[in-house]
Amino acid sequence: MGNKLGIEPIAQEKIKISVNDVGNAIEVSFVGDIDMEDPSVILDPLFEKVHSGVVQNQITEVLANFKELNFLNSSGIKAVAKWIMKLAMLPPDKKYSIRIQHNKAITWQVTSLPTLTFLVPGAVKIE
Amino acid sequence: MAKKPDGYIELKFGPRWRYIAPARLFIQSFVAIAIEDQNKADGIAMAASELLENAVKYAKGEETSIIVQAFPEQNLITCSVTNQGDATSVKELQTLYKKIMSGDPLEAYIAQMREAAVRQDGKSQLGLARIRYEVGANIKLEITPDYLITITIEVH
Repeated sequence: MGNKLGIEPIAQEKIKISVNDVGNAIEVSFVGDIDMEDPSVILDPLFEKVHSGVVQNQITEVLANFKELNFLNSSGIKAVAKWIMKLAMLPPDKKYSIRIQHNKAITWQVTSLPTLTFLVPGAVKIE
Repeated sequence: MAKKPDGYIELKFGPRWRYIAPARLFIQSFVAIAIEDQNKADGIAMAASELLENAVKYAKGEETSIIVQAFPEQNLITCSVTNQGDATSVKELQTLYKKIMSGDPLEAYIAQMREAAVRQDGKSQLGLARIRYEVGANIKLEITPDYLITITIEVH
């Protein structure tokens, strides 16, 4: 596995994040817990790399796979929201969509993740 | 809340980040046993974790405490987190509380997320809005004259 953007996987504390090509799309997969004091240290640079890489390579879809993420604190939600809000600033010809993949067996995912679809209407879908 | 709880747990610890995750897991187990509702237990554990994160981040004293009480007859769980603040942190918290408790819970949460996304001070200030919307909790804020802060959530 790997990705056309050249983004290295992350394994820190209790979280592993990998970026993979899935067809023409890019998948960002999270495994473990994001409950550290300042997850922005990890997440902000990652999302910036994904965002700029996707825009430069004219990729139209990113899959955000949270299915194996057991916990995400509100500082982590902030980082995801910050990424999603970048979509609102893109010109029409650079826009891409984010498809959130969630696990219905994990309670926080059922309540937290759908709220992210309201941030930039039409840009984020959940499945 | 005149009736005595059917069961409760109280944890006190020096405000260190590494104790939050084990506290969350312990609270999740306690609530799941007390009310036999895994989804509610997960939500309350998330809420407790958010409150503890805030308490640890902004604590001005050495001791942070959390009490979780179960009232199965009333189908009620309460969770109170207490920590020492100061004049500045109390004022900020009061302003945030007022903002988050007004209006529709989802709208308040979305607005808070949008604001968090552009904040430059490293804070998220999302925890209370998240708890109010995702857990459907009533949230009470109490502050003593010497800035002891207690946030209590009530979940039916």
